[in-house]
Amino acid sequence: MPQERARLPDDLVDLIESGASQLIGTADADHRAEGVRAVGALVAADREHVTLFVPEATGARTRANIERGSLVAATFCRVRDLRTIQIKGRAPGTRPLSASERAASERYLAAFTEALYGIGISRGVTRRLRIWPAFALELEIASVYNQTPGPTAGERMPVG
Amino acid sequence: MRLEDLPSRCFQGVLPGPLATCATDGTPNISYLSSVEPLDGERIALSCQFFNKTKQNVLENPYAVLEMYDPITFEAYRLELRYLHEERSGPLFDRMSLRIDAIASHVGMKGIFRLRSADVFEVLSVDRREGVLDGTDLPPLPPARDERPRNEVRGLQLVSQRISGAQDLDGLLRALFAALDEALGFTHGMAFVPDESGARLFVVATYGYPDDSVGAEVAVGEGLVGTVASERKILRMTRVEEELRYGRVIRAGIQRSSGRHELTPEIPLAGLADAQSHMAIPLVAGDRLLGVLAVESPESLAFEAWHEAFLEIVANQVAVTMDNVLLREREETESEPPPERPSIPSSTAAVKRFRYFVEEDCLFAGDEYLIRGVPARVLCHVLRVHTKTGRADFTNRELRLEPFLGLPSYRDNLESRLVLLRRRLEQKCPEVSLPSTGRGRFRIETECAVALEERA
Repeated sequence: MPQERARLPDDLVDLIESGASQLIGTADADHRAEGVRAVGALVAADREHVTLFVPEATGARTRANIERGSLVAATFCRVRDLRTIQIKGRAPGTRPLSASERAASERYLAAFTEALYGIGISRGVTRRLRIWPAFALELEIASVYNQTPGPTAGERMPVG
Repeated sequence: MRLEDLPSRCFQGVLPGPLATCATDGTPNISYLSSVEPLDGERIALSCQFFNKTKQNVLENPYAVLEMYDPITFEAYRLELRYLHEERSGPLFDRMSLRIDAIASHVGMKGIFRLRSADVFEVLSVDRREGVLDGTDLPPLPPARDERPRNEVRGLQLVSQRISGAQDLDGLLRALFAALDEALGFTHGMAFVPDESGARLFVVATYGYPDDSVGAEVAVGEGLVGTVASERKILRMTRVEEELRYGRVIRAGIQRSSGRHELTPEIPLAGLADAQSHMAIPLVAGDRLLGVLAVESPESLAFEAWHEAFLEIVANQVAVTMDNVLLREREETESEPPPERPSIPSSTAAVKRFRYFVEEDCLFAGDEYLIRGVPARVLCHVLRVHTKTGRADFTNRELRLEPFLGLPSYRDNLESRLVLLRRRLEQKCPEVSLPSTGRGRFRIETECAVALEERA
């Protein structure tokens, strides 16, 4: 993948940092895909990076893939209106969460819980999701794609 | 673990699962799936509505990973898959397509939003994701809707017994809904029958709803019930509102991207405003559609796969019984002359005025709309004869021979029209009733004087 950089506009920053459903896709050396649910994300001030938090309990394959240099796909779906984007890029590695990032992850779970409650999923069920211990990955945004269900899903978005 | 070990509710799409794939250049892709269908212990089918990156990837690199969730507990299951082939026709495609067609039709996108293919994958492994949950206990589940034994065979026996004793269509449908409630806790149901043209269905009986919906119509091929009628296949939908929301998002996308603002309007859902589960099944005898049976629930996981099989068996018996009841009514009434009985003297304390509008083909009771079409003409004819001659007893046979009613000579649906008319009178004009006085016969009974006015 060429070393492109994309800058996120305000509305996509809001989408990413809201209680959207968050997924991370990676692949191993044999190009076997792996998917995992992320538990929070923060957009960097330069808007060219997104830090995502992944529970260690479910993220072992993802971590191994990233550390061997896998490209990363991150999907964010706002539950309320199904507005969905997919970011693709690279993550140089993984690291522990800072205290403020851990707090952000806890805020995320609260917001995600409310989002699912809006479509009929009990708060008590969503709150059971384990978010800790977790590791962080910093995704350098190369491209952003629309994934909102419909005929334009998959189109690259003109960001940056 | 095996595919069969997954709770069946994981496949109901309440929490859509992500599918991760990878292109041949190593770029991963991860997106949500709208529909996952287990085929057997080793294969599943995924719906493909658009040719997207996921499809492109699996055509190049068949390996994929799917995560599925239990919507009650949020337990997660990881499935490793290998793409086998796509199906664009046949039973699997038809089954998966029906749900999408019904949603598309309901939100005004019939033929625009549709299933492109049913993509079949081999399941290479199934594992419960360890560590997804924090180990706290689940919140207490809502109390079970009822504690009745849900033995399918006993339930079937009960429903079968109740409907087999039905003497007429009205009795059949009343017995059916009461038995479905008793055996399965189905608290809301509707029966639709086709009109003479076969192009529309009207509600002939309801259970658990305000009675105003009797007489409501849907076009065959439109909306959830109309699609079931046109495709003649059972449709079970959970999280109805979510599925429709998904359809509405796509509709908005189509309107934005193509400027197509001429999409047909959304069809209002008949029945519960907060329905979360919906199941509709065609009533077919031979090659004829006799109607559609629909049940709803405000609970999102109310109907499971076994309910579908159960209702299919019930529907077959209902269709046969319905066909027999209608045929018997018709045959017996044709063999007997109209009875002659004195009319019941009406009270003269009040006068109920009916107005029939010829141009609009509709009948008003007082100032309130009562009914239109064939049932309106039936009551108009009965009132005309009754007010002129005092006769109160009628037969279905004489109605069939009455040119004013304009009934076709074959399969005229008269009995279902009479059921509808009786229900509408019960709701809107209880002073006048048309009780059955034997097979193929009925009587007009009034608690007051009646007058008929016919307007061009």
